[in-house]
Amino acid sequence: MRLLRLALGLAGIALGVVAYNVQVDNLGPATTSTRSLAIVAVAWAFLLAGLIAWARRPENWLGPLMTAAGFALLLRQLRYSHDPLAFTVFFALSELSYALVAHSVLAYPSGRVTGRAERALVKAGYASMFLLPLAVLLFYDGSERLRFLDPTPRESLLLVSGNMELALRLQQVFVVFVWGVLATLFIALILRRLARATPRARRILAPLLLAAIVFALRAVPEVVFTFVERPPALLYEYLFWWQIAGFIALPLALLAGMLRSRLARGNVSELVLELDRTPPQGVRDALARTLGDPTLEVAFWLPERREFVDDRGRIVTLPRDGADRAVTRLDHEGEPVAAIVHDATLADEPELLQASGAAARLALENARLHAETRAQLAKVQESRVRIVQAADDERRRIERDLHDGAQQRLVALALQLRSAQRQLGAKADPEVDRLLAEAVDELQVAVEELRELARGVHPAILTEEGLAAALESLTSRTPIAVSLDVSEGRLPAQVEATAYFVACEALANVVKHARASQAAVSARRRDGVLVVEVEDDGVGGAHAEEGSGLRGLADRVEALGGRLLVESPPGRGTRVVGEIPCAS
Amino acid sequence: MRVVIAEDSVLLREGLARVLAEAGIDVAAQVGDADALHHAVHRERPDVVIVDVRMPPTQTDEGTRAAREIRARHPEVGILVLSQVVEAKHALDLFSEHPEGFGYLLKDRVLEIDEFVESVRRVGKGGTAIDPEVVAQLFGRRRASDPLEELTPREREVLALMAEGRSNRGICAKLFLSPKTVETHVNSIFTKLRLPPAPDDHRRVLAVLAFLRS
Repeated sequence: MRLLRLALGLAGIALGVVAYNVQVDNLGPATTSTRSLAIVAVAWAFLLAGLIAWARRPENWLGPLMTAAGFALLLRQLRYSHDPLAFTVFFALSELSYALVAHSVLAYPSGRVTGRAERALVKAGYASMFLLPLAVLLFYDGSERLRFLDPTPRESLLLVSGNMELALRLQQVFVVFVWGVLATLFIALILRRLARATPRARRILAPLLLAAIVFALRAVPEVVFTFVERPPALLYEYLFWWQIAGFIALPLALLAGMLRSRLARGNVSELVLELDRTPPQGVRDALARTLGDPTLEVAFWLPERREFVDDRGRIVTLPRDGADRAVTRLDHEGEPVAAIVHDATLADEPELLQASGAAARLALENARLHAETRAQLAKVQESRVRIVQAADDERRRIERDLHDGAQQRLVALALQLRSAQRQLGAKADPEVDRLLAEAVDELQVAVEELRELARGVHPAILTEEGLAAALESLTSRTPIAVSLDVSEGRLPAQVEATAYFVACEALANVVKHARASQAAVSARRRDGVLVVEVEDDGVGGAHAEEGSGLRGLADRVEALGGRLLVESPPGRGTRVVGEIPCAS
Repeated sequence: MRVVIAEDSVLLREGLARVLAEAGIDVAAQVGDADALHHAVHRERPDVVIVDVRMPPTQTDEGTRAAREIRARHPEVGILVLSQVVEAKHALDLFSEHPEGFGYLLKDRVLEIDEFVESVRRVGKGGTAIDPEVVAQLFGRRRASDPLEELTPREREVLALMAEGRSNRGICAKLFLSPKTVETHVNSIFTKLRLPPAPDDHRRVLAVLAFLRS
């Protein structure tokens, strides 16, 4: 292949020399040597860019296409020859050079023409640019000058019947159809593609804008000057050189754009180094930088759940490969590891994607484990909240059952016994009277105990009137002096219950262990967090880990996403602080 | 004296009615929910309504709401609220500034029949009957430089009984003290708490409760 390209390169140089000479020799005063050289230079630019692209990206058809366009542009000049065979052959093929240029532009950057309209345009271009010049040759008899040729007559080997008027008319039709209709469509398709492109794609597609301008520079004078007088020489001169400059720049811009990904491949080695010092959550950013796609997303495969999740553990539905987004899956030993959701234009550079993916695989696997752990944690967290909720509901239900059931019945029963006792009155056996009185007393104790039990399970005032009232009731029942500072207003039931039980347990500990003379309870909302605090002036030395009471409450607080702190230096009192998020 | 009883437990309701009837109180109606209570009050114009806090349909605070409405519509009707749990806050919310003709007792206080009947009569005559537990809660409230600390234990007992709504005679009976001793205690308490002397029981309860809720 390298030899072939070398041979093509040398052939191109030689052909350029021939094309230059044919032009200068045959056109005479209609051209200058500078102009002839400039036209050869345009062809060489295509040839050079095409060969380089071909060498660098052998799998991409853009290189061969541009090479072919270069050759076609050189061969085109041979139509100026006065040799009948050379004139006939190269006049017939001459316009195909522009079809190849347009084809290259539309095939940029992948080497394939995508889109129905684009493919149809390429076909129409090849057909019209071959058939119309061919038709001209059928009627050209040399009696008049053809457009862009010098007045000296040439011989068409395909002449059927001389009809110079028809031949010239056909040339006009060609200009109107190719440089009017097709060129307009071509420019419109390019602009549409640019308008629809994602930001990343737009950067890569920038050379297309140049193509649009160059073709417009060519098309407008072609069409206009077919129908009006030849323009002043100076204007014509300007147009010519702008066109030449544009046509030289075009292949180079296409080449540069195509090689961008080649350059990016060099970034893969940087990526490897970068990933080494990147925390798992930075892998996405590193990949996005390397691939030049800020919209890039990474999804991780969770084998046991058989679904993709994002880095926070949320389920991700991969988009179907559509116009804008494409998905590249990364596998290891047949098992999916991750998927990269990226700009569809990146799919044109599968090697770059695969290379970056391979480089990032280990880091991604790591990140995947992270995501997996997070997903599990999120589930555990949810279930902890549900457990707290269920426990609260159950406590409320038990309190209500005790209240409306057992307590009520015991009081009614005791009242009946008391009535019986009174009815028997003085005529009763003193023993029976004593038994009845004892029974009533026992029942009264039972009712009292049930009441305390129900309050401990879930105080009714907490459900009915909220945290502030419940804490007020709690502190007024506490046998030592307790000051209270609490925000009014209701909070979610779980938050209120948790805060209440923290205060309740902490106060119970103060009474039981702290030997304190006073305590302070506060419950205040700060930035979406309820901070409940119980402080005493007792002996200190308490530990959250000891005694299941505070430990269980710490679990409960943490289940709601908060935390429980216990500060209890020996001899300097105890401070229990619960911080409970309350989104309200 | 005529009473209406509103209590959803039939057993307890009938027990109450029997106890009151035996004590010579006329039970004009027994009902099981708030709607029936309103009708009965409208129809019977009783001296006292005895009402349970929790009643159908929601078993939450139907009783207290009914009590509030009756107080607003028929201020002359005494109200005695019974509850399985008593909260000082509820009591204060219920009688607000007017403890006249108001009672708030734990349900099991009915077992001390004589005291209970006495409470019903007191409320019927425009007096007050506050549960000792509520009074204990009010005592437990923290005050800056608490004057309660200056009272002797005996004085605190007397103060608690006054807060419950008892008269001097009631306090004498409860503490087995002579009327003269009780009088001395009461005067001492009023001096220490810097309260103006109250000429009658009503105003005394008012003053004491106002002091305790502050």
